[in-house]
Amino acid sequence: MHAAAAEPAFEPLIRLEMEMETFLSDWQHCDYLSSFLARMISHNRTDPVRHANFFSSALNELLEVSFRGGSSGGRIGCTVYRQGELERVKLSFPCPPGQHDFYREAVSKTRKGDAYARYLDAVSTALAPTREIVLLDLAINFEAEISLEEEASSSITLVVDLPLGGIVS
Amino acid sequence: MNIATTLSTPHQAVYDPNSQEFSVAGVIRPRSVDEIAPSLSALRQAIEVARGVLYINVKRLVQMNNTAFHAFSRVILDACRSRSDIRFVVVTSSVVGWTERMFRHLSRIEPQVTVEVYDSKFYPGQSFVEDTSFIPILRTQTKMTWRHERAILPRHGMRPGIHMADICCGIGDFAVLVRKEFQPARIVALDHSRASLAYARNVAADFGIVDIEYSYGDASEMLLEDDQFDLVTCRHSLQIFNQPHVLLKELYRICKPGGRVYITNEKNSHCLGEPRSQSIQWTYNEVAKLFSHFEMDVELGPKSRRFLADAGFEDIRVESFMVTNLDGDPQDFADIITAWENVYAGEMAVKRGDPPEFIERFRQGFRDHIFAALHPKGYAGWPIWAASGRKPL
Ligand SMILES: C[S@@+](CC[C@H](N)C(=O)[O-])C[C@H]1O[C@@H](n2cnc3c(N)ncnc32)[C@H](O)[C@@H]1O
Repeated sequence: MHAAAAEPAFEPLIRLEMEMETFLSDWQHCDYLSSFLARMISHNRTDPVRHANFFSSALNELLEVSFRGGSSGGRIGCTVYRQGELERVKLSFPCPPGQHDFYREAVSKTRKGDAYARYLDAVSTALAPTREIVLLDLAINFEAEISLEEEASSSITLVVDLPLGGIVS
Repeated sequence: MNIATTLSTPHQAVYDPNSQEFSVAGVIRPRSVDEIAPSLSALRQAIEVARGVLYINVKRLVQMNNTAFHAFSRVILDACRSRSDIRFVVVTSSVVGWTERMFRHLSRIEPQVTVEVYDSKFYPGQSFVEDTSFIPILRTQTKMTWRHERAILPRHGMRPGIHMADICCGIGDFAVLVRKEFQPARIVALDHSRASLAYARNVAADFGIVDIEYSYGDASEMLLEDDQFDLVTCRHSLQIFNQPHVLLKELYRICKPGGRVYITNEKNSHCLGEPRSQSIQWTYNEVAKLFSHFEMDVELGPKSRRFLADAGFEDIRVESFMVTNLDGDPQDFADIITAWENVYAGEMAVKRGDPPEFIERFRQGFRDHIFAALHPKGYAGWPIWAASGRKPL
């Protein structure tokens, strides 16, 4: 384990929480929340409008993952942090305990050497993207670094670092 | 089904058989492919009738989730496999960065697909107006027009605390002046010249200004959402678009109902000076013709009322003012004219292929205008029309 002090300081920008049941009641919540959060955190970026567009794009995919994979008891929480050109999204949502292995595997695949080949293969043949492919999309198209925090068995926390500051400008 | 889901189908997919172009625009974030079935079948039909190259225009695509991306990709890739006679050119925008990143994968999978990033070469006059040689002109111009506009703006909806956007902001000095004088709560300043924006950001940083949101964008298809601003300003820019009504429609869209859109434009042929008025007048008549050669209408000023009315605005207000050599230092006026001479005679006329005799006479009018401006008894003027309209509630 690395010493905690080696972690660079991430400044929290915004946190949003809601009942998972409420979140799951309408698919549009993914769109609304990602657009809203993106606008809130982007105003002091070099190009706020384009930063918000990029960020919303990535965050919406994450929210859609939690919409498709989450279960209704408990709360969904989303916190956005910033460190320099990087934004970190921590998204926690309740999901069945049996799903942990799935996320562990999907996340580890985003770091493997064949990630791009797998992604191309999915675009080339699959009818609809799986949650695993969505995570690959974030890693490839948004240069995201994705990891998992597993604190409770009844929920999952995706930690996604997005170097958008560099990509947008 | 609740109302929110039924109402929010904010994307459009249309096929134009004349240009063989299928355009997808707006926000496409379906939960399942079924929700976008009509758009997908429109694409399939377009592919069926298209011969040769089918353009897929995603320039105005603001958001698209993976579900939609995969579905559209599926249709395109399947067509590549079943029809060797067809090619696809996906046209993305340099403003919406992720579209190029996503669509370029298709060309990796099928060589029949190519991805082009739409940029300035698509506007007839774009390369001149985005040129960095314009920067010094813009600076002096704004300094001189500001003397008039600071008094005019409150009649067109400018007041403290508003949310405003300056579209085609150039080097951003208007935004800085407005911020200081009127203290709006929010200013977005958008332009399509990266060089001008870089300049604007540097100036802002030098003055410790952090609250002007400078943004790279295309004014004719902005990422800004609908109904956001109390005042949208667009200065000296409608006149340089080959389709001013398209731009005006966008300004209308981002303006709040009850808010106003404020535009300024010139009528170049009415620039004047004494002495040597005839040579001056000849040259500025030629300026108007030169711009129209590049599909820009620098005679637009007095047409503002009609443009605003046709775009659906009400309570239209139009006024004009004359920037002259007597506003402050006459040398400032002369500097503007020098810069015009350099770009209009030195670059644009050359590009049009004008003979040296013409260019020489053309230059002479600018020099005479400068002569009039600096003459102790001379008078030189540059007329401008300021107009605004209210977006109906
Ligand atoms: C004549 S200048 C006016 C600039 C500024 N409003 C002023 O008065 O100083 C026109 C501006 O429009 C910008 N422009 C041209 N095409 C554009 C487009 N498609 N979208 C946004 N800005 C554009 C140019 O980069 C340039 O800064």
